[in-house]
Amino acid sequence: MASRCILQIALLLSFTTSLSLSYDLLQLQQQQRSSNSACLKLLRQVKGKPEHCQQDRMDFKFPEEIKQPRPFQKEMAALVIQEMLQNIFVIIRKEFSTTVWNKTIVDDLLDKLHQQMDRLKSTILQERPEDTNMTTLRLKSYYWRISRYLTARENSICAWTVVQAELISKFPIINSLTDYFQD
Amino acid sequence: MLASLEAMALVLVAGAWRGSLAAADGKSQKAPETVEVSIIDDVFTLQWNGSQESVGNVTYSADYATSEMDNWIKLPGCQHITGSKCDFFPLINFYEEIKFRVRAEEENSTSSWYYVDPFIPFQKARLGPPEVRLEAEDKAVIIYLFRPGKRDGTSIWDMDALSFEFSLVFWENSSHGEEQEIKTNFYISKMYDLSTETTYCLKAKARLSWKVSAYSPVYCINTTAEHKLLPPENVTFGARNQSYVLTWEYRDVNVTFRAQWLHAFSKLTPWDNSNEWKQIPNCENVRTTYCVFPQSVFQKKEYYFRVQASDGNDTSFWSKEKAVQTEMYSTILPPVVSMKSTNDSLHVFVKAPKKQFDTFTYEIILWENASHTERKLVSKRSDIIIPGLKPLTPYCIKARVLLQDKWNKTSVFSAVVCEKTKPGAAASIPWVIPVIVILLLAVIAFCVMKLLWKCFNYVFFPVFKPPCSIEHFSEQPFGNLLLSTSEEQTEKCFIIENTQSVIIVEEPEETDEDYRKYSSQSSQDSGNYSNEDESLGNQISEALLQLKPQALSCPGELVLGLSSLGLHSS
Repeated sequence: MASRCILQIALLLSFTTSLSLSYDLLQLQQQQRSSNSACLKLLRQVKGKPEHCQQDRMDFKFPEEIKQPRPFQKEMAALVIQEMLQNIFVIIRKEFSTTVWNKTIVDDLLDKLHQQMDRLKSTILQERPEDTNMTTLRLKSYYWRISRYLTARENSICAWTVVQAELISKFPIINSLTDYFQD
Repeated sequence: MLASLEAMALVLVAGAWRGSLAAADGKSQKAPETVEVSIIDDVFTLQWNGSQESVGNVTYSADYATSEMDNWIKLPGCQHITGSKCDFFPLINFYEEIKFRVRAEEENSTSSWYYVDPFIPFQKARLGPPEVRLEAEDKAVIIYLFRPGKRDGTSIWDMDALSFEFSLVFWENSSHGEEQEIKTNFYISKMYDLSTETTYCLKAKARLSWKVSAYSPVYCINTTAEHKLLPPENVTFGARNQSYVLTWEYRDVNVTFRAQWLHAFSKLTPWDNSNEWKQIPNCENVRTTYCVFPQSVFQKKEYYFRVQASDGNDTSFWSKEKAVQTEMYSTILPPVVSMKSTNDSLHVFVKAPKKQFDTFTYEIILWENASHTERKLVSKRSDIIIPGLKPLTPYCIKARVLLQDKWNKTSVFSAVVCEKTKPGAAASIPWVIPVIVILLLAVIAFCVMKLLWKCFNYVFFPVFKPPCSIEHFSEQPFGNLLLSTSEEQTEKCFIIENTQSVIIVEEPEETDEDYRKYSSQSSQDSGNYSNEDESLGNQISEALLQLKPQALSCPGELVLGLSSLGLHSS
């Protein structure tokens, strides 16, 4: 009984010390999450007409290995998040049309995405070796398909409504990836 | 003559036969060798070596297939090529695998296909040099960079627009022109403080993760003559109350100014952002060398500002751009503090009134109400427990927000909150661990002491004395020997069986498992009883050693055992 008690104390001590050491990562995680919810709020403000756009839906084939929970190293999780944010930024910047978007909202969204990418670059991704692996390649492929879809449909409201739903549906994945910041 | 004619006819027929045979075969051509695909930016080049044996009019054709389609597609621009290479510009998903096949053709016959190993174009592609456009002012040169690849939205590098890094080499085109090397992520840069009417040259290369391009060709430009109207200088940015103030310096008086702003991230994107600069409200056609605008207009993090002078007819060049991170200047509101006292510690709650920024740290000043010695605490958490305080003492607290990012900006202190600690001698958190350790040691010590006490008792103060038992024996009615299962007396008893084992009949009161084991083990030792008194005494004492002290309190039963012992031994 005595040994059990000591074991419990030892576990508690190690847990609290590891908590205090990784506090910066906890803050980064919180920042990421608040940035995500802000981006989501903005994304939802696309002037879409979802009722009329049912036939335009499409499967863009998001990479399966990111959807399913699997242990990620924190650098890998940050790389995946960075890739996703970059591509979302590029798509919105490249393909947005003023008929569908309010320019102020677009600028707001782009600014938030840019800030978060900067934060990742100056923390976890500082010493990034910068080589593309299969996961980031598949992510790029996914976002390329979305971009082509928008171009082919001339950035119409329906196309943007579909893309808006698609982009929004992937934000919970970004949130769950931030769990891996704690290692 | 007829024979020769016949012979000729035969040869002709044979020749025709052979020809038709060859036509029917269809594979008389040799497949091309060493087919390679190289990609520079958006241009795919297919190159091959024709086989040595082919002569004359051999042409080559190529097909491609992607992982998304099942069949081979004819490669446009690479059908029936007479040379040994062809260029094409496929509109495909550059991040998915692609494969090629090439074959040689001649008239009606074709060779077998040569299949190129599948690959991912994005991985194989190499960077071409970036494009540069220069624009000259009198003392500055604007550098417009264009990433490699097409700019119509179908380039292989489209999705990586943000990730490009450019290395520039800039020099004055004279004998003593030293080279300046600049690394930038911006698609628009500006070189300031140059000489008027001088030639400056630039070359640039692009980098995308590990891919590096070659240097672009050298571009040169002449700076203009000095412009009459000078640009404003020393643009500074500051905050005052709830507004921002942009100030600059200018020598002449009869000019108006206008100021513009730009989102910082605009410089990172290659789309046309020359007209992305926006006019600041209240800063158009002002005569003062400053302008004031509300903070609410600029709520993002990073901006660039520039100012231009105008005298009605002429405008100056733009001033140097001022990069501003509004976080640095905006006033931080103080936090709200509340406290709860628990025993001899204080639980402090700090709440920022409005969630302005995400990277908060709080500085908490604590002091006893009576004395003025202050204790400073820095914490990132918004609820803190301060331990180790004196009980029943009033303490006061005030807090402020620290932005420890790059500038040591702080808010003003919050209102002071005072609270009295509760009485109590309960240990605070850092004392819990030694207390638990002491308790554990106490428990262990107690067990050890108990064990020693038992041993001590067994060895030195056995309750059982042989003469006493014999006396008790005479008191006991004989009936007890027969009724060995009476309830009152069988509480702590034992039976000796076969003179070789001692078995405990009843469950002992204490849960001392070791005792049971001990007795069953040592029962082996009790071995063979002999008739001798000495040995009997030994046996008795051995049997007694196996009993608990309480067991000795039923001497009647013991007598039972003894009698059986005696019976057996005799």
